[in-house]
Amino acid sequence: MARTEEYQLNVGPVHPSTHGVLRFVLTMDGETIKDTEMVLGQLHRGIEKIAESRSYLQFIPYTDRLDYISGMTNNYGFTKAVEDLAGITVPKKAEYLRVFVMELNRIVNHLVCIGSLLLDLGAATMIIYGFRERHKVLDLFESLCGARMTFNYIRPGGVRGDIPEGFIDNAKEFLRDMPKRIGDYAQLINDNEIVHMRMKGVGMLSPEDAINYGVTGPMLRGSGVSYDIRKDDPYSVYEELDFKACTRPECDTYARYIVRMDEMYESLYIAEQALDKIEHLSGSVNTHFPRIFTPPEGEVYSRIEAPKGELGFYIASDGGTRPYRVKIRSPPFCSLQALPQMVEGLKIPDLVAAFGIVDIALGDVDR
Amino acid sequence: MAWINKNWIMGGVMKGLAVTIKHFFQIGDRPVVTVQYPYERLEIAEAFRGLHAVSEERCIGCGICEMNCPNGSIRIVKYNKWYPQINIGQCMFCGLCVDTCPMDAMVMTNEYELADRSKEVLIYTPNRLLFKE
Amino acid sequence: MIFENIYEIIAFILNSAGILQYMQSYSDALGISIAPKLIIILIETALLLVGVALMVMALTWMERKVLAHAQARLGPMITWYHGLLQPVIDGVKLLSKEDLMPKRADRWIYFIAPMIAFVPALLVFIPIPFGRDGAIISDLPMGILYVMAVSAISPIGILIGGWASDNKYSLLGALRAVAQDISYEIPMVLTVIGIVLITGSLSLQDIVLFQDKIWFVFLQPLGFIIFLVAAVAEMARIPFDLHESESEFVAGFFTEYSGMKFAFFFLAEYAHLFSIAAIMTTLYFGGWHGPMIPMIPPIITSIGWFTLKVLVIIFFTMWLRATVPRVRVDQILDIGWKVMIPLALFNVFITGLLVAGGVL
Repeated sequence: MARTEEYQLNVGPVHPSTHGVLRFVLTMDGETIKDTEMVLGQLHRGIEKIAESRSYLQFIPYTDRLDYISGMTNNYGFTKAVEDLAGITVPKKAEYLRVFVMELNRIVNHLVCIGSLLLDLGAATMIIYGFRERHKVLDLFESLCGARMTFNYIRPGGVRGDIPEGFIDNAKEFLRDMPKRIGDYAQLINDNEIVHMRMKGVGMLSPEDAINYGVTGPMLRGSGVSYDIRKDDPYSVYEELDFKACTRPECDTYARYIVRMDEMYESLYIAEQALDKIEHLSGSVNTHFPRIFTPPEGEVYSRIEAPKGELGFYIASDGGTRPYRVKIRSPPFCSLQALPQMVEGLKIPDLVAAFGIVDIALGDVDR
Repeated sequence: MAWINKNWIMGGVMKGLAVTIKHFFQIGDRPVVTVQYPYERLEIAEAFRGLHAVSEERCIGCGICEMNCPNGSIRIVKYNKWYPQINIGQCMFCGLCVDTCPMDAMVMTNEYELADRSKEVLIYTPNRLLFKE
Repeated sequence: MIFENIYEIIAFILNSAGILQYMQSYSDALGISIAPKLIIILIETALLLVGVALMVMALTWMERKVLAHAQARLGPMITWYHGLLQPVIDGVKLLSKEDLMPKRADRWIYFIAPMIAFVPALLVFIPIPFGRDGAIISDLPMGILYVMAVSAISPIGILIGGWASDNKYSLLGALRAVAQDISYEIPMVLTVIGIVLITGSLSLQDIVLFQDKIWFVFLQPLGFIIFLVAAVAEMARIPFDLHESESEFVAGFFTEYSGMKFAFFFLAEYAHLFSIAAIMTTLYFGGWHGPMIPMIPPIITSIGWFTLKVLVIIFFTMWLRATVPRVRVDQILDIGWKVMIPLALFNVFITGLLVAGGVL
């Protein structure tokens, strides 16, 4: 009498498909996955502990290295928490610059996510086209703040420096070219039958389960729940800008992919409006930030809509120059909790597709 | 498998093929975007944060840059007067020393090809960082 | 001058240079009068090997360049002009790698597996007509049957390669690769039956001669589409890329091979690519037919037309590789058994009706 038994397959920390050092231990029955256990923490650098011995200005370069693909948003998450704690007001031009820069960062993040998802599935052209656009955005950022990945640009009180000459023209050229490129990618991928075969019906996550697991961002909006912090709990100047939150009712990988493509168009629209305002405003871009900065005693939790979900910073201060405790609520760490349920009963190639659209960056998962 | 009998003509794949062939023949503003690195280099913006340079006249050796460096890569050492010594291997090129210098003596140049063969060479003593106005 | 095959061309050249009579008299004196024939056969084999090796090297260069240009970048540029010496440098690199063998691997089978995968890819070129009068190694009367049979031997090499490396994931990868290979051979053979019904002969030279008025791609459109899909699956190219899809979490059957043995599997894959494209050209695109150029002898222009058509087909597969992702394992086998075989049988039925009705 033949019998089968379950076995464990280890997808080790070093692997082409896990975007970073992430280990899966899959319990499998034949070819179907029964259970997934993720072994995280291999990139843990102790950023939250480091924060207890750095001043508020010195900690901002460390926040760049959390979700290394979208550094500006992480800078802003921490800065907003400090500004809420100490009650600092920020000039209008700085707010619009921040929004512009963060929306460009959102476009870049979605390009990298889609590109690496398709690279795992086998189409290697999308990631190279995506990185070509990322190169243009990073050129803009380099002329603005001097670095291409660890920006250190958004500070409490404003931004680091004003825009150089020629920036407005370069930015307008980029915003003019980009819709045509996104149209290219949509034509390449959206109707492709093989992409439909790989991504439709894979990785289903019902809306109730998504809310219960604490999933946020495009993952949640791909399951039909319209929750976008820029709309529901607005911060900065998002109330004055006109955009909509993109949702899709089907709860599979393909829906989340379409949500990201739609969000790229929306981010372009927001960036155009912000650039318009920047061109016509004048004034300084930062209020004075004292050399020895001691916020009042207290604690604050502030959250923003990072490209991967809800990024939250909790700061507890005891009145000194260094924070007492910083806790980071990172979006991919919470979205990864839903992965075992998404892939139960599927085969391994489906695990690759469902995992690619969760869009993790190991720096954020492990901090 | 019913769907494959419906769209066996694979129209979506044909659309994708059109995009790729347009890139192959570089039709319609889709140029080649790479350069052959050691022989040609891309342009760097003026604000780029590369290797540091300290102005010999303006630096007063106050140590504010040392205080503000997030991971302690700057040390003030004696070299005629007191000047900063930077450990390039540890520095993360964040630019906080430039932002907080009270005399505007510290600037960051455009140089980024700084790799070398051992760690000791990467501690840049003031004689490698100073420049005269 | 009309020749029968390459043997006669080489004999003619040696004859007019005067070497053949010299060799004949020398070997008659020694007592082995068959020696010149053997020497000509050896020259033919050497030409085949050198020709296939050169073509495979050119294909690796072409693949890197086509993929690079479709991705808005340049590809190899530094080794000589536009990277034309890149395959040579790759070969030197592969030769200089350490030749490992896992400790508990099955020694002789591990050693033989790459050769079993590579040799059938060479044997397939024997009945394929490259040009007009006699650029063919041997015009076998049952050419297409021989081609289909010999190309079914390569999966054996893959299978024992996966078994001999002492790695359970290599074995799984080898089993899957072989499953894909054998399940797409059946639609290929069934579409070939459609062509044989029209021409009434199994010899490849006859099939090409039959196409001087109209190519078979217009007479058998459904057969062509099925053959195209089955050919892309046989060549193991994306979208049916099971042999080397490392991100599908299975190691692949050639993980434990390094150095020259890995180079053999690699060469076998590109030789397969070339041979299946050559078969597709002879069966559907008219083989070596094409307009003649006045000053050049017809045999050379026909070889030129043949190579051009083969390169266009190979360009199409590389173009496809740059565009689409992979198909999942169970979907590949689904398509192969549930969609391709009924369509191929339907194609045979329709062709049979038309031939019996006297239309074709």
